[in-house]
Amino acid sequence: MVMIVNPLNIILILIGAAFLIVILDPIFRRARLIEFGGVIASLAFTATLIILAIEAAAGAAARTVIFGPDSPLTASLKLDALSIYLSMIFSGLGLMASIYSIRYMLFDVEHLPLDDLLWIRRRELGFDRYYALLLTLIAGMIGVTMANDFFTLYVFWELMAISSYSLVAFRKWSWEAVEAGFKYLVMSTLGSLAALLGIALLYGLAGSLRFDAVKAAVFGGNIAATFSLAMIVIGFGVTTAIVPFHSWLPDAHPAAPTPISAVLSGIVIKTGVYAILWPMFRVFGPATYGFGPILIGLGILTMSFANIAALMQTDIKRFLAYSSIANIGYIVMGLGLAAHILKAHPSEIGPAALALAGALLHVLNHALGKGLSFLSAGCYIIRTGSREIGSLEGVGPRMPITTASLGVGLLNLAGVPPLSGFWSKLLIISAGLGVPSDSLMLAATIIFILNSVLAAGYYLWLLQRLAFKKPGSSGAHREIKEAPPLMLAPLIILAAACIMVTIMLNPILQFIQNILEVIM
Amino acid sequence: MSLHEIYFAGSLLLIVAGLYAIASKRHLVKIVIGLEVVTLGVNLAIASMGVRIVDGALVMDALAQSMIAISIAVAAAITALALSIALNIYRHYGTFDIRKLRRLRW
Repeated sequence: MVMIVNPLNIILILIGAAFLIVILDPIFRRARLIEFGGVIASLAFTATLIILAIEAAAGAAARTVIFGPDSPLTASLKLDALSIYLSMIFSGLGLMASIYSIRYMLFDVEHLPLDDLLWIRRRELGFDRYYALLLTLIAGMIGVTMANDFFTLYVFWELMAISSYSLVAFRKWSWEAVEAGFKYLVMSTLGSLAALLGIALLYGLAGSLRFDAVKAAVFGGNIAATFSLAMIVIGFGVTTAIVPFHSWLPDAHPAAPTPISAVLSGIVIKTGVYAILWPMFRVFGPATYGFGPILIGLGILTMSFANIAALMQTDIKRFLAYSSIANIGYIVMGLGLAAHILKAHPSEIGPAALALAGALLHVLNHALGKGLSFLSAGCYIIRTGSREIGSLEGVGPRMPITTASLGVGLLNLAGVPPLSGFWSKLLIISAGLGVPSDSLMLAATIIFILNSVLAAGYYLWLLQRLAFKKPGSSGAHREIKEAPPLMLAPLIILAAACIMVTIMLNPILQFIQNILEVIM
Repeated sequence: MSLHEIYFAGSLLLIVAGLYAIASKRHLVKIVIGLEVVTLGVNLAIASMGVRIVDGALVMDALAQSMIAISIAVAAAITALALSIALNIYRHYGTFDIRKLRRLRW
């Protein structure tokens, strides 16, 4: 059975649910049911996930849908294995975040100092807008992966970006959130504008923005196309947090409410990875434009900087934010290795496919692992009221389920075998060693291995401090209870998903094989 | 110089002016204005790619027109959001000066 779903419907479900929440809010608020927004959002994400799963099971045949007459000027959407893979990750983590938010957001408000609480109560809590923005955020990300021309990609990109700025600044009663929101807005908007300038140049070159038309126009390689590729990569690289453009991330991700931190760190920056990957591999082509060494360099810079910076953090959310930057470095280096092999050693298709598969698998692993770590950190923050790792020491035995989930997430991120985080790193490493004569790849792989070992060290160190260390004199953690069940459920599901990915590695790698046929 | 080049040069001028405003000004609202000027520059760049002279009349490509229209709408949303965040910053600190903020390091 092949089910034909218009890709637009998947996006419309999420946007429709967002409107529904905002419209119905006054009715439900009068009935004192402020949790309903989370329920509707969870149902919408579940529906999206089911549709996408049916599509994936039906074989994920690539197709495009054109709106209006078939001219090179009209907008169009596509649905292929890569967009289904990423959209499933996005709506899955969105579902977990919205279930988690139902309890978390209430706690988040109750833990305010009394003055602030009065300030909020006088106005409104804004939970309806919180869930509506979460839905449009995920809708924008799914739209980015389904766009079939550069301008549609840009429009959905801005839908995602505007939602994420508002969500970072959502806790407007805290100085941290509004400052970080403003910084994020200015830097990321400048990035989007750089990408739009690159897109404008491509439009001048090709006369159309369809990926196929642009591909035909930039085929030979010329200076204007190279410049616009650079602008697109720099522009989307700001939101991806590649290192020279990362400085907003360690402020913005911790300042957001914790479920939003999980979504931002787990998947929003992966949308940036897609927005770089697709133009580079599918439109411009690594064989014509030799961007491989540049990507490898950026990846190494990103992971080395972020791993060293993460060691110095005392705030658990900032620590996790820096480790997200490091993981982006791994993914970018995987892409760079693939591009470099396709350019310099065109006969070695095998290692290039390994590097791309490793990068794509790491997107899934990092989304699960980082989502799990942030949500677990949120449970600690709710129960102890502190984000400092020092005062969280030894809290583990009091909250066994949270700590066990955090353990699975951190071990997955650390790449401890047999968890799937190990296999994605192994794929990238074996791709890097696949062409033994190439000294650049060899050096890059050695730095990659050193970084992985360093990262594994500090993840385990964090786990040891939280779970096994005796609590210091400052906090005895006697009265601390386990987090409420509605917050534990997403943690348990995500931890189970980490283990399931490890067990089902074979079918997932086969699905990634389909994606590679689309990209390469 | 052809029409495209004049438009494109103008757009680069606007982008540089906006970037200068963002980098040098200390007032939050002036930074938002700089952001808006950069947006206008990019819109003019799109126009420079789509403009043609057909039979002596200035004609704009349909795709360029729709791109500029949507880009203006997006910029309006971003400006509104930026100003509302700036207002919240003012509520916390009583100033629009970014040097007074605690952690705004670029």
